[in-house]
Amino acid sequence: MGIKVVCASVIGKSNNPLYIRCFDSTEEALKFHYIVHSALDVVEEKSTAKKGASLDLYLGMLYPTEDYRVYGYTTNSKIKFIIVVQEDGDSHDQAIKNFFRKFHVLYANTVANPFYTPDDLITSRKFNEELEKQVKTV
Amino acid sequence: CGAVVMAQKGARPYDRIGEQVFAKVDKINAELFTLTYGSIVTQLVKDYEDLGEVNTQLEKMGYNIGVRLIEEFLARSNVGRCADFTETAEVVAKVGFKMFLGITANVTDWDAEKKEFSLVLDDNPLTEFVELPESYNKLWYANILCGVIRGALEMVQMKVEATYVKCVLHGHDVSEIRVLLKEILTDEIPASMRDE
Repeated sequence: MGIKVVCASVIGKSNNPLYIRCFDSTEEALKFHYIVHSALDVVEEKSTAKKGASLDLYLGMLYPTEDYRVYGYTTNSKIKFIIVVQEDGDSHDQAIKNFFRKFHVLYANTVANPFYTPDDLITSRKFNEELEKQVKTV
Repeated sequence: CGAVVMAQKGARPYDRIGEQVFAKVDKINAELFTLTYGSIVTQLVKDYEDLGEVNTQLEKMGYNIGVRLIEEFLARSNVGRCADFTETAEVVAKVGFKMFLGITANVTDWDAEKKEFSLVLDDNPLTEFVELPESYNKLWYANILCGVIRGALEMVQMKVEATYVKCVLHGHDVSEIRVLLKEILTDEIPASMRDE
């Protein structure tokens, strides 16, 4: 039944990484960085494919690897959220959608900080802590 | 809600007055307010660079707001003259803060002569979503409130000094402003007008 989010990332407008956090200590972080990076191509594809019909912020599964699945979510401000998930069995689409929604709200709250400039790296402690909590309760 | 509060605290009138006035005043969107104040502070930080100077500027801005805000307060709240400074403190905390910020503060830690007290704020719309970067320890982010208190009370013949001693943005669990009564002004022209 379980889904485990092993990596969550926020990518900026020019595909620059603003935040990458890995929750699985057994794997090397670099591997996830690479997965996220390659997922960006799929994101581009999906967002330019459906002309005018892309009302959905949720992009769905971007691609599967041997142990993981990668999901994406984009916003109208060209900020992308990409997560790498370890799932057993069927895909829990609804749970993933909920996670992205909360992730989006968390991001919006962090941007509201007057001391944070958009497109900066996200270093907020609150963001880290909240994200951990959300990952635990997926 | 007001009735429950009264039953618990033995009919503290100012809580009720505060809520009544708050219900009647116009409201604006809280996020807009927070973001506006946030951009004021960051702009001041960029312009002045010295955080101590930013604190001073915020306090001055607050003072200018306070001297005007008091009129609105007196007109809307219909609160009569306060018998003593302790009453003033309650009115500021329960009616003033409620009316303009939608929160109530608590009055604590009176000194022996009843000339100094603490205003404790559990939450503050000004600081919503704000996280101070590490080097900003000297900055009292919501220092404008100290100025507002000073300006408003000066217009009702009380000269006070208000300073922040604790702030949630610095890791404390509450924010605390210490208010000290310096003197009661009697029929004197306030300093701000005297220079002209």
